[in-house]
Amino acid sequence: MSDLLTRAEPVPTAPFAADGVTISLAPPMARYSLRARQGQALETLLGVKVPKKIGATEGGIACLGPDEWLMRAPAGTSIPMAAGLAIAVTDVSERSICLCVEGPRAAQLIMSGCPQDLELFPVGKATRTIFETVEIILIRNSNDQFHIEVWRSFSSWLWTALTTTASH
Amino acid sequence: MILIHCPYCDEKRAEIEFAYAGEAHISRPVDPSTYGDEEWERYLFIRANPKGRHHERWRHIHGCGRFFNAVRDTVTDKFETTYKAGEPRK
Repeated sequence: MSDLLTRAEPVPTAPFAADGVTISLAPPMARYSLRARQGQALETLLGVKVPKKIGATEGGIACLGPDEWLMRAPAGTSIPMAAGLAIAVTDVSERSICLCVEGPRAAQLIMSGCPQDLELFPVGKATRTIFETVEIILIRNSNDQFHIEVWRSFSSWLWTALTTTASH
Repeated sequence: MILIHCPYCDEKRAEIEFAYAGEAHISRPVDPSTYGDEEWERYLFIRANPKGRHHERWRHIHGCGRFFNAVRDTVTDKFETTYKAGEPRK
């Protein structure tokens, strides 16, 4: 049955390029929302180091709040059952899509609608924030490359907003 | 743009990321069944509404998601301080 279904993306799959910036849809990936009072419990479950400072990322895991982490991994990645541990693990792979914004004008483009000061936003930082009225998770992979995680239903609006601004 | 210091993120962030959540330090009735109408009215609806220094709850909803307390001047809209939920009144 599932092989008859085709995947529909809410934004164009062809990258958009403008002067100094390209916007493209990242391939599908696995996303897990991890909630725990102690980051230590997550380390026990996953067997890897988990960032403790809000905003920090480590190996695809971003610390979004004092008890909240977002794990992004290649599609199909599964994580072990958290039986016996005080952890909530939720698969949110299809909740959002990821837009990859890169180029020398990437920061300027994002700052057109986002209140973060990206001149003070270090590489490796990830945070939930807002773009105009749409909530996003902004991740800086390098000086000129950002990932924007946005809820699927908001993504076509965000795509239009970013591409329209980029072409001006 | 007003910048608000989130005590959890330990950063100043734009007001647009936050949501106001009413007056702070309002404790729930310990034994609600003993409350009469007047006491319920006072608990549910009656607020200090001061002109000046006001203790209030805010939520960093488009950030870490946490509720915290703030002291804000209702005349000047200046934030005097912010502190984590559960900490004593400042």
